[in-house]
Amino acid sequence: MKLLHRLASMVRWIVNRNRAEADLDDELQAFVDMAAADHVRNGATPAEARRLATIQVGGVEQAKERVRTDRHGAWLDAAGRDVRHGLRQIRRDPGFSAVAIATLALGIGGITAVFSAFDAVLIRPLPYADADRLVMIWLEMAKTDVTSRHNATPAEWIEWRRLNTVFSDLASSQPGDATISGDGDPEQVPARKVSWTFWNVLGVQPALGRGFTEDEDNKSVPVVVISHGLWQRRFGGAPDIVGRRISLNDTPYEVVGVMPGNFYFMPSRETDIWMPASFPPWMRTNFTWHDAQIVARLKPGVTLQHARQSMAALSLRITAKDFRGPHSVIVVPLREEIAGKTQTALILLLSASGTLLLIACVNLTNLLLSRGAARGREVAVRVALGAGRARLIGQFLAESLVLAACGTVAGLALALPAMRFLERLVPEAMGAARLTLDWRVLAFSAAVTFAAALMFGLAPALRGSRVAPQEGLRDGGRGTAGARSHWFQHSLIVVETALAVVMLTCGGLLLQTFQHLRNTDLGMRSERLLTFETPLFRYKDFDRRAAFINAEVDKVRAIPGVISAGSINLIPFTNFASATFYLLEGQSRDSIPGQVALIRNVSRDYFATVGAELREGRTFATSDQKSSAPVAIVNESFANRHFPDRSPLGQRFKFGSLGDKGYWYTIVGVVKHIPENGVLAEVKPAVYRPHEQCDQIGDLNNGIVIRTAVEPTSIVPAVRQAIWSLDKDQPLARIQTMEELVDRQLSTPSQSSALLAAFALLALLLASLGIYGVLSYAVTQRTSEIGVRMALGATSSAIMLSFGRRGLALTLTGLACGLVLASIASRLLTALLYGFHPDYLPTAAVVSLILVGVAALACFIPARRASRIDPMIALRQE
Amino acid sequence: MEKLDIPQGTLDLMILTILVRDPLHGYGISQRLAVLSHDQFQVNPGSLFPSLYRLEQDGKLKAEWRATENSRRAKYYRLTASGRRQLDRHRERWTRVSLAVASVLEGA
Repeated sequence: MKLLHRLASMVRWIVNRNRAEADLDDELQAFVDMAAADHVRNGATPAEARRLATIQVGGVEQAKERVRTDRHGAWLDAAGRDVRHGLRQIRRDPGFSAVAIATLALGIGGITAVFSAFDAVLIRPLPYADADRLVMIWLEMAKTDVTSRHNATPAEWIEWRRLNTVFSDLASSQPGDATISGDGDPEQVPARKVSWTFWNVLGVQPALGRGFTEDEDNKSVPVVVISHGLWQRRFGGAPDIVGRRISLNDTPYEVVGVMPGNFYFMPSRETDIWMPASFPPWMRTNFTWHDAQIVARLKPGVTLQHARQSMAALSLRITAKDFRGPHSVIVVPLREEIAGKTQTALILLLSASGTLLLIACVNLTNLLLSRGAARGREVAVRVALGAGRARLIGQFLAESLVLAACGTVAGLALALPAMRFLERLVPEAMGAARLTLDWRVLAFSAAVTFAAALMFGLAPALRGSRVAPQEGLRDGGRGTAGARSHWFQHSLIVVETALAVVMLTCGGLLLQTFQHLRNTDLGMRSERLLTFETPLFRYKDFDRRAAFINAEVDKVRAIPGVISAGSINLIPFTNFASATFYLLEGQSRDSIPGQVALIRNVSRDYFATVGAELREGRTFATSDQKSSAPVAIVNESFANRHFPDRSPLGQRFKFGSLGDKGYWYTIVGVVKHIPENGVLAEVKPAVYRPHEQCDQIGDLNNGIVIRTAVEPTSIVPAVRQAIWSLDKDQPLARIQTMEELVDRQLSTPSQSSALLAAFALLALLLASLGIYGVLSYAVTQRTSEIGVRMALGATSSAIMLSFGRRGLALTLTGLACGLVLASIASRLLTALLYGFHPDYLPTAAVVSLILVGVAALACFIPARRASRIDPMIALRQE
Repeated sequence: MEKLDIPQGTLDLMILTILVRDPLHGYGISQRLAVLSHDQFQVNPGSLFPSLYRLEQDGKLKAEWRATENSRRAKYYRLTASGRRQLDRHRERWTRVSLAVASVLEGA
C-alpha cells in the first residue's frame, strides 16, 4: 500500500514536473516575501529586509536542488534529465561526438561481430541432449608415421561397450557416401553407417518415424534414416516418406525415420543418410580394421579426467597382445572436436577485438578528460547552484552512456557485414550456420555498452566532478586541470600505444604465417584443375572397374578445352587417412609397428595432369598392367625415411595386412611432396600405384582430375554428359576446382589473419588519433603560454620541437612496453601458426617503423599549429 | 547566542507536532519552530522543504494553496490521519529515547 502510494507520487512528480517546479518556485518566493515582510515590520527598510530574507533562505536554487534530490524517484527523474542533457551535449559538439561515436562503433562493432561467431561455435548448445556429456574416443598410436590419432575398430567398440565403467553407452559411426538413384537424377550424398546405439548416445530421436533397432542392425536389415534436408529436397517433404523404399547403392532400403532439421554430426557438413553399421562377423573380432569413430556419453557424475584414465587403462588391457604393441586412447569433448582449430582462432579474435575496444575506451577517456577540463566553468556553475558530487558523477556517466549507446547502434551496423565475413570461420561440421544478431548477441553488446561507458567515463567523471566552484569560475573558463592531470593522460597514451604495438605485431606474425601457408608447395599446379568423384559401387568386379575408370578418363579427355585428365582414388588434400602398414624387403613383421604409408591408386596420366614433379625414375606406363610386375611410385618422404643416402629405385615392399599373399611392389619412381592429407598437414610417406594393379586393397571411389585450357567450371555440363554417356545412372559428386578446394582449407587462417590485421590497423589508427588528440588539446590549452614564449623570442621551430618531442617520447615509451608484451603474446600465438615460426625481430622492426611514422605525423600536425601561433592574437585572448 | 543544529531525524517529528493544531505554510512552520524552541532552533528552506515534500509524498501531509491573513498566497500543510499516527508513534519513541538518554547521563 505504502509502496503503491510512493509509486503513484513518483509518477505524479514526473508527469507534473513542470507544475511541481513552478509550485516549488512560488512556495520559496512566498517564504522570502513573508520573511521580508517580517523584517519590515521589525523596522528594516524594504531593500534591507529583502537582503536579510535572502540570507535567511540561504540560496533559493540550492534549496530547490535539495528538494529535487530528496524526493522519491528523484534518481529516475535525474537519469531522464541526464540522458536528455547527454543528447544535448552530443548535438552541441558534433565534431567531438562524431569522433567519439565512430571510435566506439569500431570497438563495439568489432567485438559484437566476433562474439556472434564465438557464440555460434562455442556457446550455443549443440543439437544433442546434454551435449556437454558427449565425448569422442580415438586411438592413440604414437608410433605410426601417418597420424597419432586413429579411428577405433568395431571390435574395440564392442569390447568397450562390454567392459567400460564410465560411459552410459557408446556409438560407432563411419563416414561414407551413398548413391541415391531411381527417382530423379542419380545423386551421391554424404552418408554415415552408425550403430543402433547412435540415437540414444546423442539423445536425439528422428523427428518423424524412428531410429533403427539392435535387431535390425545385427541382422543387416536394409533400413535407413534420412536428413530433413534430403526429405525436403528430393522427396518434396512427402508426408508418407516413412515406410517408403528408396534405392541406395542399387539396394532397396526402407526409410524408417527423418532427423530434425537442425541436426548435424561431425565431421562432414551435411550428412543425408544414416544406415545401420551392421558389422560382419569377421569385423567384430578384428582389431586392425580402424574404421569406427566412437562417440560416447559420460555416466552422470563421471568427470572427463576420470573417463580418460579409466579408458586408457581399459584400452591398454584389451590391446595387450596386439602385434603393434598396446595402445591407449584419446578422449576429447565433442564440442572441442567439432570446433577444432576454429576455437583457437575465435579466442584470438575475441581477445583482439577486446583489445581494440580497450584502446577505443582509453582514447575516449583521454578525449573526455581534455574536454572535461575545458568544461570546468560549466561544472563550477552547477556546483555553485547546489549540484552534489554524486549528482555530477551521475550526470557525467549518463553522458558517457548516451555516447556509448550511440556508438553501439553505429557499431551494430558495422557488425552485420563483418558477420557475413566471419560466417566462413564456422567449422564445416556445423554446416552453413548463419550468424545473426539474436537476443544473446544483443544482450552481450548491451552489457559491453554499459561496461565501456563505465570504463571510459569513470575517470573523467571523477575528475570532472572535483571542481571547487570559486576556482572554476575565477579561471575564466580556461582549462583548469593543470599538470596534475598530465601524467594520467600521458600514461593512457602509453597504454594504448603499447596495445596497438601488440596487435600490430601479432597481426604481422599471422599475416606472415598465412603468406607462408599460401605459398606452401602443393607439389602440383592447382590452377585450372577441375575435380569430381564417381562412386564405383556398381563395379565391384575389378576388371570392369579398371575398364570403367579408363573409359571415364578417355571420355573426359575428348571434351574440347581439356588438355589432359587423370584419375586418383582420393582427390588430393581431402582425405585425412586411408593409410596402410607396409614392410620393405628384409623387414620382419614384428620389427615395424608404426610403419604406415598413405596409399593412392592413380591412372597413368595422373602425375602429368596435376603437374607433379618427378625427382627420379619414371611415371607409370601403358605397360604397367594387371598382368605385369606390380610397380609403385613413392614420395620423397617415403624415400628419405628408408633410403636417405641411396636411390630407392628397384627396392621392393608389400602391404603388411595381407601376409604372404601380398604382391611385392617395385619402386620405379620418386615424386615430390603432394600433401595428400590436407594442405596444412605435414607431409607423410605416401605410395602411388597404377590402378590397374590394385586388385588387392582396391577402392570403390574414384576421383577424376582434369587440366583445362578454358575456365574449368565452364566444362562441367560437358563432363556430366560424358560420364552419363558411359553409364546413365552414374552420379558425379563434389564437383569443384582444385583452387576452391585449397582455398577452403586455408579459410580459417585466411579469415582470421585478415580480421586480425584489420583490427591491428584500426588499433594503430585509434592510437595515433589518441596522440593527436592529446597534443592538439595541449596546444589549445597552452596558447597563451606559447604566445608569451614567442613574444619573449622563442623561435617557431623551438616551439614545434618542444611539442613534437613530448609526443615522440610518449610514442617511444609505448613502443618499448608494447614490444615486451608482444614478445610474450607471440609466444602464446604459436598454436595458430601451424608449426611455422615467423621471424619476430623483423616483424617488430617493421611495426616500430610504421608506428613511429604514424605517430610522428600525429605529433607533427598539432606541433606545427603551435609553432604558427601569432603571439599578438594569443595574448589578446587573455 | 549560537543556534543549535537540529538533531538527526527529529525535524520530521517537530514538523508533525507543529501541524497538529492548525495547518501552516513553510514560513509559518519555521517561525513557529523558532518560537517553540526559544530561538534555539532555526531551520532554513534548504532543510525544511525537502522534509515537507517527502512527508507529503509519503501521504503524511496534505498541501493546498490558500490566502494568508495578509492576503498573500501560500501553500498550507495539513496533517493527514496517517501523519497523525506517525506522530503518535514517533513521539512515544522519542519520549523513551530522551528518558533513556537522560537516565544514562544522570547515572554516570
